[in-house]
Amino acid sequence: MKRITGLLVLNFIFYALNAQTVNNFQLKDINNSSRSFTELKGEKLTLIDFWATWCKPCNKAIPELNKIYQQYIEKGVQIIGINCDGPRSISKVAPFTKSLQIKYPVLLDINSEVMNNLNISAFPTLIIVNSRGKIVWIHEGYAEGDNLRITAEIDKYLSTN
Amino acid sequence: MRSLSKFLILVSIFSTLSLFSYSQFNGTNLMEYQYGKVPGDTNAISTLYDRTVFNYNYKDIKAGLALEQFYTRYDNRNYIKPTQYYLQYSKDFMDIKAGNFYETIGRGLLLRSFEIPGAILEDLSYRSRSYFQRDVIGVSTRLRYKDLSVKLLYGKPLNNVFPPSQPDSLRRTDKIAAVAPEYTFAKQTLGASLLNLKNSNKSTLYGMFTSSGIISQYFSYYSELAKDLSNYSLSDFSDKAAYAMYASINLSINNLGVSAEYKSYKNFSLGAGINEPPALVKEHSYKVLNRSTHVLQPINESGYQIEAFYTFADLSTLTLNNTIAVNNLNDKFVFQEYFAEYDFSIKDNLDAKIFADYAEDPFKLEMNRISTGAYLKLGIPDGSSIKTDYEFQTFHRSGDKVYNHVLSLGYNHKSKLLFNITGEISNDPFLVEEEVKTWIGTNIKYQINSKHSLLLFAGQRRGGPACNAGVCYEVLDFNGIEVRITSRF
Repeated sequence: MKRITGLLVLNFIFYALNAQTVNNFQLKDINNSSRSFTELKGEKLTLIDFWATWCKPCNKAIPELNKIYQQYIEKGVQIIGINCDGPRSISKVAPFTKSLQIKYPVLLDINSEVMNNLNISAFPTLIIVNSRGKIVWIHEGYAEGDNLRITAEIDKYLSTN
Repeated sequence: MRSLSKFLILVSIFSTLSLFSYSQFNGTNLMEYQYGKVPGDTNAISTLYDRTVFNYNYKDIKAGLALEQFYTRYDNRNYIKPTQYYLQYSKDFMDIKAGNFYETIGRGLLLRSFEIPGAILEDLSYRSRSYFQRDVIGVSTRLRYKDLSVKLLYGKPLNNVFPPSQPDSLRRTDKIAAVAPEYTFAKQTLGASLLNLKNSNKSTLYGMFTSSGIISQYFSYYSELAKDLSNYSLSDFSDKAAYAMYASINLSINNLGVSAEYKSYKNFSLGAGINEPPALVKEHSYKVLNRSTHVLQPINESGYQIEAFYTFADLSTLTLNNTIAVNNLNDKFVFQEYFAEYDFSIKDNLDAKIFADYAEDPFKLEMNRISTGAYLKLGIPDGSSIKTDYEFQTFHRSGDKVYNHVLSLGYNHKSKLLFNITGEISNDPFLVEEEVKTWIGTNIKYQINSKHSLLLFAGQRRGGPACNAGVCYEVLDFNGIEVRITSRF
């Protein structure tokens, strides 16, 4: 029982600790060109969507992210899709991306390097990064109505950024 | 308990440092409590598993530590152990990492190390639980200069069949040294890799050539060829030689995407399993198909996979897949699968998905395997939704007609709360002693906030092969309750 209590305390004391930042990273995109976070990030906010072709909620989120991208790109908000398919399914990423007509850049993280560096453990995970590189919002999963929640968060951080 | 105290002191020091400097401290914690039975247990037992990952950043330097612990009433299964640690220095032109790292060479023909996020592994031999990770301990370096990049690595890959309660001399029996340069020009990339593998049996040198690129806005390709260079000549592609060949071509025209892949693997299982050539078998999200997967045999396997996607103007999507895998072992086995899925909306608030699959898997003695199912999701204006799905599978095995049914009902309120009840019925003689067997289980997920989530499972969970993130592993049957708390900080 002491162990369980200790571990529960450990789980919750981390509330007070500071937020994570995104350091520059470099990955190949679906056109075989190397792209860096510094080069792609938005002037005000950057949304990073971690997804995989085999993840059904990810596929549901992508058309909504496409709409959000078109709605906010002129306001200094960029979206970067980071695909985390491994060797088993990575060959499907480019045709899948083009079939869904994804407008924003899609990078390939075949080794899950960026994903592990940012402690991402679920698909899809969407993070909002401010102009100083700080992760201000993180959201796991995708369900009905999440698109409204995402735009509300973007509006909130645009007004404070 | 003393180790845990030391660990908490270390955490406090790092977190305090991060508050008073430009450094940063972050991490995650996964804790899972189980009370129940897996096959072979006569009584229900309690187990507690926990994994905490800490990362510390200061400018270009990063350090990290993963602590795993597992407790049961049986001392020989318990452990508390720092299972991963690293120190990393990153600049635009280089990354160097000492300690535990993940690295894949090419598409995994020579080396693949990885973790499956959130997956906890347990097997019937050791009955100890550990995180699903297959890392390498040693040094990894990546150098970049304009269009040239070079990976250099040295270390000992982990064989995760053995849990952390076992000694490293058993878990890490292979030693590798590799160099993998890559040059990109005009959207084409050429690579050549060498990997030396040493273990108590022998030392073997493997080589690999990689070529990939964009041919036009419609076509791209990827190919790689790896060979054992120590024991066979470069031109030897006989059945006795050790080699692996993988190629893919992608076609994209407007809303149509096609991926075609080819494989030919002969005697190419390296060391204790440090490589993982692409399986070229679709990873399904449907329960009946996910567990019916064909498991790759790198000793002898050839075949192809073609998958086509088409997205219609209303964003409905059609996916078609055909897979053939041939194993020439003592006998010849030909696995074949034909899959179709249509994902569409009936009304604005009503989404549907239907699938059909036909397969022959003589390696698993599953013939004339037919699987089908449907999924419906009804959206409610307050942001909630109700889901239901039904899957059915039937096949012939050695004179038996086997069937599997899965029925699931779920409710979710936005991404905050999810409730799901799943029932399964099977008459598979490999699993069932009576005429039929049922499994009923309930999942509740509550997202406390963006940093903490709670997952509760109660009931029975059917085991068997599970494929997740491109990797297949065995999950044990479970009957009991399970509570998982995940946190990030």
